[in-house]
Amino acid sequence: MQTIKLAFRNLFRNTRRSILTVMLISLSLTALIAVDAVMRGMLTLLVENVTSTISGEAQIHRVGYRENLDVDLFLENSMEIEQALSQDASLQSYSPRVISAGMISSSYNVSAGLLYGIDADREHTISKVAQAVVRGEYLTGEDSELLIGQSMAELLEVDLGDRIVLTLSEANTGELAQALFRISGILDFGMRELDDNFVFINIAAARKALAMSDQQTHEFVLTFVNPEDAENPDSGIFKQLNDEEIEALGWLDLNREIGLIIELMAYSSLVVGAVLFLLASLGVINSMFMSIYERIYEFGVIKAIGTRPAEISRLILCEAFLLATISCGIGMLLGFAVNSWTSVNGIGLGEMEFSGIAISNNIFGEFHIAQFTQFPIYVVILTIAAAIYPARFAARIIPSEALQRSL
Amino acid sequence: MSGVISTTDVCRYFGDDEETMVKAVDRVSIEIVRGEFATIVGPSGSGKTTLLHLLGGLDNPTSGSVELSGTNIAAMSGAVLSDFRRDHIGFIFQSYNLIPVFSAEENIEYIMLLQGVEASERKRRVTDMLQQVGLEGLGDRRPNKLSGGQQQRVAVARAMVSHPEIILADEPTANLDSKTGIALLDLMKELNENHNMTFVFSTHDEKIMNRASRLIHLHDGEVDLDERK
Repeated sequence: MQTIKLAFRNLFRNTRRSILTVMLISLSLTALIAVDAVMRGMLTLLVENVTSTISGEAQIHRVGYRENLDVDLFLENSMEIEQALSQDASLQSYSPRVISAGMISSSYNVSAGLLYGIDADREHTISKVAQAVVRGEYLTGEDSELLIGQSMAELLEVDLGDRIVLTLSEANTGELAQALFRISGILDFGMRELDDNFVFINIAAARKALAMSDQQTHEFVLTFVNPEDAENPDSGIFKQLNDEEIEALGWLDLNREIGLIIELMAYSSLVVGAVLFLLASLGVINSMFMSIYERIYEFGVIKAIGTRPAEISRLILCEAFLLATISCGIGMLLGFAVNSWTSVNGIGLGEMEFSGIAISNNIFGEFHIAQFTQFPIYVVILTIAAAIYPARFAARIIPSEALQRSL
Repeated sequence: MSGVISTTDVCRYFGDDEETMVKAVDRVSIEIVRGEFATIVGPSGSGKTTLLHLLGGLDNPTSGSVELSGTNIAAMSGAVLSDFRRDHIGFIFQSYNLIPVFSAEENIEYIMLLQGVEASERKRRVTDMLQQVGLEGLGDRRPNKLSGGQQQRVAVARAMVSHPEIILADEPTANLDSKTGIALLDLMKELNENHNMTFVFSTHDEKIMNRASRLIHLHDGEVDLDERK
């Protein structure tokens, strides 16, 4: 108790230095909390962009289809799959798609592109195609409707109502087929890859153009009630559907580069944290040593009158603990304030494309329990660890030498 | 009279090189008996403070032994030596050296906390010591609110409160004005006579020498003259 009292009072002997040390530690904690919140927000935005734009949280294909989008590798039993999907309570929604590469021609130009045949009603709940319509109308179900990316429309020199001819290779036979459409809507996803290459038509028209039956589908896109289920390859729907012919994969398996980005972001947070606390630790060591050198005569005296070396160490560590505790309190308050601000206002990064994924929205800071439990504990542990060396130094002070010094 | 502390051929040399080696204390053999009011005197650099540090176990001798109540403290180190100093030796330093963030009472109480003395006993002894050194009513003041003489009185109280066998004082009056120094010396002499407490001073203050019962003269680290009055 006496050690705590002495340590606490010692903190106020040089108030300015103590305030500076507390600021150093608390601002490091604040920065760590804020960086973590922004990183989490960025990750959420990234994942949201990946999953909600077009890919969904999981997809079902015929095995081998994803390698080169071969139109012949369609799901034969899509009715059975739909039945299984409709009975799975963990799923929020699903939508079938027919996909094919093809030539997209206008009266003025031609471009290679990717045709997506979608179920307009279901797709509405799963992707951002409907929200991406900047001019014209979303698909209503009519055979001739076609949605085209703004940049592709510019390339083909077409506008709403203009004709587009799709040249495709029919499924099974490989025969070339052509189909005529009229542009009903112009899209702007804010993602170059989509705006340059994708056109969307109704799924029935796509099946017709590709000579596929109503039962044949290239892809099912899924979203989950709990999005974390999509990250678990052992969850129900994956186990139920995966076999030699069918592969059902979550977004992490579908976008392996995103998994790497997530890992990279985790490492970045770790590195930022390590650098911040290395600097803070050096500050603590420096501050502790200054405090010890200032009191070296005093340490000589208290050691002379019978204070054990371990008690002197304990005193220094206690001072560090109190510094860390006060700093954590302030750091958490500041961290809470910064996170509150970023979670409401967000941080605008302009339009950014990250590994082909557009991040055009503000990044909103996200609170997490670890920011206010684990991080402060790390801070206390690291501060005490930083004080061990000065504490050992103080414990080893030789009274006769310390008493010779006059500071 | 029984010996409280004794040294046998104690030496303290600084430096390893024969040519530059400083023999601060050289083959000193003395015995301080209970109730003595002894002073170690000599010019600056004669080894007074070094000898006092050796007597108090604040420094280890290069050779020889220092025995306090039959225990060779020269062979002790670490926590054992700290505990021994705490329980057997009281120190008074030239610059008072109280803990600045503690009040006078807390400074006096500190050593008893190290000893594990019970709270009620600590309180009783602190009150008693403040009265003995004439600081009643000033116990709650921090050192910076006390005069130099008052601070040194607190230091005397701190040194005595644990009932040590010997009190070692390194030039305790050096930073005090003449009047305050005399008052402090009278206090220590009184405690010496009333409680048979043993005091050893290092000093070149004539006021102390005049009151001492024994003068140990040091010159270049060696005992030049050891006279009892």
